[in-house]
Amino acid sequence: MLVIENLHAEIDGKPILKGLSLSVNAGEVHAIMGPNGAGKSTLGYVLGGRPGYEVTDGSVTFAGQDLLELAPHERAAAGLFLGFQYPVEIPGVSNVQFLREALNAQRASREEKALSGAEFLKLAREEARKLDMDAEMLKRPVNVGFSGGEKKRNEMVQMGIVNPKFAILDETDSGLDIDALRIVGDGINRIMRAPEKAVLLITHYQRLLDYVQPDFVHVLADGRITRSGGAELAHQLEREGYAEIAA
Amino acid sequence: MPLIDLPSTRAEAWRWADLGALSAAAALAPIARAGHEPHFLDLPGARLLFVNGVLDEAHSVLDQVSLGHLRGGEHALGGRATGIGWSLRLDADAAADPVQVVHIATGGENHLPAEIVLADNAVAQVVETFVGAGWSNRVTRIELGSAARLGRAVRLIQEGGFTSLRDEAQLGTGASLVSTFLGAGTAGTRIDGAVVVGESGYAEVGGALLTAGEQRQECAVRVRHAEPNGQSHQLWRAVAADTSVASLAAAVEVARHAQKTDGEQSLRGLLLQRTATVNLKPELEIFADDVKCAHGATVGELDGRALFYMQSRGIPRPRAQALLTRAFVADALDRIGNEGVRDAFAADADAWLERTL
Repeated sequence: MLVIENLHAEIDGKPILKGLSLSVNAGEVHAIMGPNGAGKSTLGYVLGGRPGYEVTDGSVTFAGQDLLELAPHERAAAGLFLGFQYPVEIPGVSNVQFLREALNAQRASREEKALSGAEFLKLAREEARKLDMDAEMLKRPVNVGFSGGEKKRNEMVQMGIVNPKFAILDETDSGLDIDALRIVGDGINRIMRAPEKAVLLITHYQRLLDYVQPDFVHVLADGRITRSGGAELAHQLEREGYAEIAA
Repeated sequence: MPLIDLPSTRAEAWRWADLGALSAAAALAPIARAGHEPHFLDLPGARLLFVNGVLDEAHSVLDQVSLGHLRGGEHALGGRATGIGWSLRLDADAAADPVQVVHIATGGENHLPAEIVLADNAVAQVVETFVGAGWSNRVTRIELGSAARLGRAVRLIQEGGFTSLRDEAQLGTGASLVSTFLGAGTAGTRIDGAVVVGESGYAEVGGALLTAGEQRQECAVRVRHAEPNGQSHQLWRAVAADTSVASLAAAVEVARHAQKTDGEQSLRGLLLQRTATVNLKPELEIFADDVKCAHGATVGELDGRALFYMQSRGIPRPRAQALLTRAFVADALDRIGNEGVRDAFAADADAWLERTL
């Protein structure tokens, strides 16, 4: 589903990713772990197409397409979802309006019929309920005044609504208490655990992986995958630290 | 072509004025008259249609409005508008249906005075729309009696030439004036205002100026608190694209004995391209010592992080820019009390975004 080969990327001329290769098949959950500054978030942003992140070498193929050729909104329409480590506040634009615009833009580019206001609202309320988010928050401006945990939960509600094929979740577990972590973990499993879908979890700690069992765990250090293994690798990292294993 | 005697841009109040555009607008050749129907909103009440400053009686319903000879006053531009104009006068405790005025310009210059005089406790709403091309020059004298309330919404959507407005308002004790302006056409604009707030009076003067191409729009509004306990808000938003210039000058003046005045100025500019210009000038002259006057002035660009966030959810960049820009001007237009009027103004702002982004 996603094939990354020898990916090099830089920000302001500073190399961050230095030959990263990774292949994710449909039905798989991969976790990327690594120390601060290894390039974990950069990988998410490069895959999402954030301006300022320049790919200098390598390739990324997503569902048979050259992902790097697509504009960010086209990547979303192709089925890619990027869950943000720091979801952005957008004053003056309500969650409902934002998500309906997003979903209908994606549907339009897939030549699907737009959802009416009522149809959309039903879907949004249902997703909010499943993630234990107060439906009133859908009316509020996007992420404005939300706590860290509420923002992350809102990311999951968005993911449930757009129902992507592939989710890249950047530190979705940060800022969550235990209860929220369980709800978010259940949400990831419910929305994304399917034979035709896949997930790339970017995380610093092992605790989210208690709820979302990864099929593969990779260690990212200094812009490259230095080690790959199964779920047990995450436990080993937690016990022994990155310094030992990443080297 | 007669030369127009205009103020000098060396005078501070006129420093950003595009005075050359006035002469150019006045010299515009005649154009076909635009249709007026789409510009009247579905509201009860008086409908006045002025074509080049002259009432088109066949298409107007005067209701409580009358015509008469009015003086333009002392203002450099407003003063030119002495002659036959429209007048809304309400007796004490009266409430009128909304008054709609559509001004169509078809080239050349036209000048029209108006007055809105509300006796104690009277309530009125006036909605004006400027379309066509030419120089449309207006002066509006507003006098509000004790506890009278006026909501005024003006949209400037001329496609060519220049629209210059001069409002002079005097608010009695506890009176309330809410004036909202939207500049979303392609003509030059100057909005001049002088509001004097009486004891415990309430004044809101603000709006949004959206400029593109080589367009120039500006406002120069001065609110004077002459008596204690007054409140005023001047909330202006400017969005400038291409090489256009939007200028916002808002002044608040608090007289020596106007204690407990609560004044707020919020001037914000958004540059859609770095070749555009937004000038902001918040001005405070405070002679009383027990007052609260908040003021803010900022110019910036759209938040790149928000743009990427929206794109990453599937919203194409131009649409994301439109949503963020619309959100930026929304609080200025939200001040319009009537929902139908507010929606019409928002639709004009959306049409501008559609054209520009």
